[in-house]
Amino acid sequence: MKALAILFLITGALVSQGIAQDQLGALAPANLNKSRPAAPFDITGTWQHSGGRDNPFQFAPPPGFKLTPASQIQYDAAQKARKEGKAYHDDIGQCWPAGLPVIMTRVWPIAMVQKPTAIYMISAFLNAVRIVYLDGRPHTDPDVVVRTFNGESIGHYEGDTLVIDTTGFVNDHHWIDNGVPVTDALHIVEKMRLIDKGATLEIETIASDPKSWEGEWKWTKRFKRMDDTDITEAECLPNVNDHLPSTKSSLNVR
Amino acid sequence: MKQLLMACAFFASAIAVPVYAHHSMTGFDRAKTVNLVGTIKGFGWVNPHSWIEMEVPDGKGGSTTWNVEMTAPGILAKAGWKSNTIKAGDKVTVAVHPLLTGEPGGLFVSVTLPDGKVMMERNPPPAPAKP
Repeated sequence: MKALAILFLITGALVSQGIAQDQLGALAPANLNKSRPAAPFDITGTWQHSGGRDNPFQFAPPPGFKLTPASQIQYDAAQKARKEGKAYHDDIGQCWPAGLPVIMTRVWPIAMVQKPTAIYMISAFLNAVRIVYLDGRPHTDPDVVVRTFNGESIGHYEGDTLVIDTTGFVNDHHWIDNGVPVTDALHIVEKMRLIDKGATLEIETIASDPKSWEGEWKWTKRFKRMDDTDITEAECLPNVNDHLPSTKSSLNVR
Repeated sequence: MKQLLMACAFFASAIAVPVYAHHSMTGFDRAKTVNLVGTIKGFGWVNPHSWIEMEVPDGKGGSTTWNVEMTAPGILAKAGWKSNTIKAGDKVTVAVHPLLTGEPGGLFVSVTLPDGKVMMERNPPPAPAKP
């Protein structure tokens, strides 16, 4: 009986950390050392969205986009606020995480460490962590997954491209663009490849969220390798925000 | 207060400097630059944004506390800033893009230090080479 209770406790602890009972952790030697086809590239390095007029950091809706009625209300309110010179639900300024896909193109570098079983991404932007599992595991049961702002990312290689499928998002305080909310129905597919002899990381992002908009939205963003920088620790703190007028201004519509 | 600011306002070299922000910067009036002449109360050398807190005389015998939002220390360091470039008690002039609301806050443009040296968030780009 005692042994059974201990087994339950161990199993519960593993599940609570997001590891299914029969799934080896991504950094377990037995998992890392499994025989696998070689990855087509290694994106280990520090990357930053390179910007430019043809490479905006925003994930703006495409021309002719159609929102659900609930999202349209938010979008219209945001447009009204913009005309009045106000910021609409700037949740990031209030320390809410940016979340995927916005976290990828913040104007801060991202450290990426690629292992055979996973890619670990740590943004200098408030040190947001994103893990892309490459060890063949499936998505976690939607009723079990712990929903997050960056979601649960599962990747596989198709030729010279890494295809990442991400689901399991939170349902609130998460925006894809100004006034355009995303929900727990958000599904993102990213196609990553190295170009320019490895100096540029190109990511095509395809996003759908039937609770917020119709169809698929697509963007292609480019990132430059930043060999002369490292990420640093950064937190959104109340006592720092107290000194940042943009986060305290009465022009913030909440 | 507003009139006083207007009187000492409009910094001559109002160069549009891109700001690496972690959030919306909608509330600042980028068409206007105001010079704040006062005394440093505090300087935050911290991610994601550095900041300046200063006391600015209001012309009526009192003063107003202003908060000035800056970019990240990593970017400031590349322009020669250090954590002690400004410190409490320093008499400085800080140029800012003020909040649209008239509240005492602004977005940093430049500082004139007690020794007259002017510092910005980034060094100006080098002049193009002559052909």
